[in-house]
Amino acid sequence: MAWELLLWLISFFVSIALLALVIYQLICLSDLEFDALNPYDTSSRINLVVIPEFVMQGALCTLFLLTWHWFLFLITVPVTFYHVRLYLRRKHLLDVTEIFRLVNEEKKYRMVKLGFYLVLFFIVIYRLVVVAVTLLIDEDVDMHESYTF
Amino acid sequence: MASERPGPPTYLGKPTISPFPAAPQTTMPFLSSGPVVGSEGTGYRANTPSGSNGPPMSSPPSTYASPNVGVHQRFPSQQYPAPVQQISNLRGPPAGQPVLPPPVLPSAQQVLPPPGSFRPQPQIPSMPMGSPPQSANLQPPRGIVPSSPLESSFSAPRSALQSSLHGYPSNQANLVSQVPPMQSPSFLAPQGGYVPPPPLAAPVGLSSREQMQHPGVGPPVGAMQNLVEEFQSLSVGSVPGSIDPGLDPKALPRPFEGDLMPNSIAKMYPLNCHSRYLRLTTNAIPNSQSLLSRWHFPLAAVIHPLAEAPDGEEVPIVNFGPTGIIRCRRCRTYVNPYITFTDGGRKWRCNICSLLNDVPGEYFAHLDATGRRIDNDQRPELTKGSVEFVAPTEYMVRPPMPPLYFFLIDVSVSAVRSGMLEVVAKTIKSSLDELPGFPRTQIGFLTFDSTLHFYNMKSSLSQPQMMVVSDLDDIFVPLPDDLLVNLSESRHVVDAFLDSLPSMFQENLNVESAFGPALKAAFMVMSQLGGKLLIFQSTLPSLGIGRLKLRGDDPRAYGTDKEHALRIPEDPLYKQMAADFSKYQIGVNVYAFSDKYTDIASLGTLAKYTGGQVCYYPGFQSSIHGEKLKYELARDLTRETAWEAVMRIRCGKGVRFTTYHGHFMLRSTDLLALPAVDCDKAFAMQLSLEDTLLTTQTVYFQVALLYTSSSGERRIRVHTAAAPVVTDLGEMYRQADTGAIVSLFSRLAIERTLSYKLEDARNSIQQRIVKALREYRNLYAVQHRLGGRMIYPGSLQFLLLYGLALCKSIPLRGGFADVQLDERCAAGYTMMTLPIAGLLKLLYPRLIRIDEYLQNASAKIDDFGKFSKSLPLTMQSLDSRGLYIYDDGFRFIMWFGKMLSSDIAVNLLGVDLSTFPDLSKVSLCELDNEMSRKLMAILKRFRASNPSYYQLPQLLRQGEQPREAFLLFANLLEDQNCGTCGYVDWMLQIHRQIQQSA
Repeated sequence: MAWELLLWLISFFVSIALLALVIYQLICLSDLEFDALNPYDTSSRINLVVIPEFVMQGALCTLFLLTWHWFLFLITVPVTFYHVRLYLRRKHLLDVTEIFRLVNEEKKYRMVKLGFYLVLFFIVIYRLVVVAVTLLIDEDVDMHESYTF
Repeated sequence: MASERPGPPTYLGKPTISPFPAAPQTTMPFLSSGPVVGSEGTGYRANTPSGSNGPPMSSPPSTYASPNVGVHQRFPSQQYPAPVQQISNLRGPPAGQPVLPPPVLPSAQQVLPPPGSFRPQPQIPSMPMGSPPQSANLQPPRGIVPSSPLESSFSAPRSALQSSLHGYPSNQANLVSQVPPMQSPSFLAPQGGYVPPPPLAAPVGLSSREQMQHPGVGPPVGAMQNLVEEFQSLSVGSVPGSIDPGLDPKALPRPFEGDLMPNSIAKMYPLNCHSRYLRLTTNAIPNSQSLLSRWHFPLAAVIHPLAEAPDGEEVPIVNFGPTGIIRCRRCRTYVNPYITFTDGGRKWRCNICSLLNDVPGEYFAHLDATGRRIDNDQRPELTKGSVEFVAPTEYMVRPPMPPLYFFLIDVSVSAVRSGMLEVVAKTIKSSLDELPGFPRTQIGFLTFDSTLHFYNMKSSLSQPQMMVVSDLDDIFVPLPDDLLVNLSESRHVVDAFLDSLPSMFQENLNVESAFGPALKAAFMVMSQLGGKLLIFQSTLPSLGIGRLKLRGDDPRAYGTDKEHALRIPEDPLYKQMAADFSKYQIGVNVYAFSDKYTDIASLGTLAKYTGGQVCYYPGFQSSIHGEKLKYELARDLTRETAWEAVMRIRCGKGVRFTTYHGHFMLRSTDLLALPAVDCDKAFAMQLSLEDTLLTTQTVYFQVALLYTSSSGERRIRVHTAAAPVVTDLGEMYRQADTGAIVSLFSRLAIERTLSYKLEDARNSIQQRIVKALREYRNLYAVQHRLGGRMIYPGSLQFLLLYGLALCKSIPLRGGFADVQLDERCAAGYTMMTLPIAGLLKLLYPRLIRIDEYLQNASAKIDDFGKFSKSLPLTMQSLDSRGLYIYDDGFRFIMWFGKMLSSDIAVNLLGVDLSTFPDLSKVSLCELDNEMSRKLMAILKRFRASNPSYYQLPQLLRQGEQPREAFLLFANLLEDQNCGTCGYVDWMLQIHRQIQQSA
């Protein structure tokens, strides 16, 4: 049972990290729109975190697969697939030269991703709580049992 | 719209209108009738138009009446303004009429049915009569017109009657509409509803008019002609196009005049900058988004900030000195002629954001009684739309840079063999004296094949020192300081270098090209200062980073979704490098020379984002193309260049610039970074409306280009323009600027080819034209039941032709086999920067017959205008006894007819054409005879009209295949070629599409 708890703890932190990365990218993009950031900085900042985000998301997906959490695996695998495809087509990085033409699209894409990660985040929290609670209850039960016997 | 622009009649501009002075008068009677009709209620309304239409068929006068009525119903006051188009009409019809009837008559029977869906055939017999009467009738009908008001009410019935008589009885819709060809489905329904009344009146019409004579199809057509003509003179603003395939192509509009700048706006706003600097696609800004959405063309501006001004019209330079440049506090608008001074001259109101600003003490001047500053006339910034301010230090992030030229020259075997290296070295040397910015100019060289060669040109050396770097993976600059030297100090070393450069690599057999590493090295050398990087590349980059693959020779990619990938850079490095170049103020010009695939798509990216240009000389041979390269390189080096520039365009509240098209890089949402920009570059930008409704009467635009001049002064060039806000779509069409629209279309289409198929790009042009004309048609045609005519505003009469030309232009033409990929990409890059005049010339080149002039001994060059007449670009224009010049602004193609008298060829070329010499090897030079001198004078004159490029004469003998086919015939765009239709077919096709869902 402790393994389970560990798994959900890891997922919890990873999804927080994913959320943070996406929000960071979104902030960079809106800074660009409001002229607070030049396109060179924007694209280099965003491109710096694209790969870590992909890796983390992929790792989370694999983790779900390996631990036989089918439901979550099936939720995350399309995104992983999409990331891989982007990467293989070399379209995962922001194009600094066309950034202003793409900025709306990119923002929309990241908003969708943000929504997805949020959903994932809530599911993970829920599972984490469930697991933690059952673990506590079990311990209680164990303790009770130990008392009775 | 009428209310806003009573003025339109004023810009008739052209005197042609006068012939029809009667028109306005005649219309007047109808006015009265019009309102009456309108008052009758909707049902009745419908009738009137139909009635009016009816007459047109039979009698011109009635036709006349109908348009009026219709017009007034909907737009009570507006209709008269549009005289502009009349001109065109006037011209058109006269030409067309004689021509039209004959073809129409025979063909009409067969032709008309398809569009009309009716069966005019029964009337065929009468056809022959139709045409002559038609033209003859023109005058009489007019006389009758006055009486027509009376009949206007009757007209509907009458027409119905006639039509029924004519044998349309079965078809009610026809009855009403009368013009058989026109019927479009949508009209049918309403018309049908009204049918009943007409029959009653029918007898009247018949008796009253002798139109009976031409019951056949002929008359209808003739009537149509009249109708349209009157219609135009009514200033509805439409021009008749073609409907009948039998239409004579000669009647179609052709832009022989070249680019016509809009002048009405200059009259309306005399303080605007000249339209050579800024042009809008329509000089009437829509006041609402819904109106904008009905204007299917792009709403955009085309800006040519450094356009060359004729002598005496140079942009005045203003130096505010310590006062600083006067700008609006809030929106940062520069002071311009449209600002207003208030409060005794102590405050000024910004015309763009209407904020009240203080006038600085030093700039203060009293106002006179009319509210003008007393020193107004001495202040160019308050009287001229274009001024240049000298910028103080706040406008610099670093000291103004010196003009800097860095040359990156390919010295591999192909560059040496083709003679490119020699021409380049000689040209650079001869241009050294004229490089701008003496004595600050800096210069540097780097040559490369499989290794990089740096040159130390320190002024203390007597000979340049060459350093070879062969480690391509880890590039370093061997000598950081002396690779870029001050030209005036190291002049002798540079001269020595350029003298020895061709011979230095004479024996070079290296075929490799380490282009990517060389680019990196150049970047390292230049990144301190920025400047202009000129790249001379004659092979495909094959070593180190940025090496490219042969990918252009796969015909299977065409027509698939992968097709566009060929036209975008293959290696992301090129985009990255371009961005870095732009960041460090380096502008790149690419000169490419290979006869084989060099991946211009990738190389050109460097120019695209740095405000540069791509010059492509396929299969360069110094003996043939040397002159061209020499001229264009010298121009590139010596033309006035604006360094480390940024450009921004501001506009009034409620409108916003959204997308930008051209060669630049966006540094923020609305700031164009232009490391080096010159007088041959134009930019386009599209507008959108932010608010749903514009409340202002006028929208102002202000373009500001902040740059460092070659002399080392920081300057701001400001162009200000105003455009009226309108509430009426018709006005937008009337004020449309074909040149600007075509420029936008070309840029949008070329951008589209980067992510879609060529086919899609062509279709999108066509679709937009169709949509716009359909909208226009809905605006006018419906009331007049002009169903069968193609109508378009006079301001856009050439648009269709340019649309066709665009679809046949090199970047968009055909498929794999029609144009080589490199040529396509290079042409695309060129067209993205071309100013409007150059673009229009390229799209519809001049074709002129010159043998008569050459043979006329007494004719002087000044009389050439009398002899030279632009001909339609069709094979029919070519006479085998003639000598023709085809001039598209980039080259001359001289076509020698088979039966051209042989002494002309001998005089001009020094060879006898009957010996079938290989003309691709013959070059044109001045020979010692009168004829040759005359020809050279002509060419010189042509070249003077477009100094941006060197037009290389290419000689062509009639029947010399395959050169003739691809050099000339493929460019005769009115003919059917390249798998696309000719002009007439194109018009029909568009017309059909307009009608399909009209």
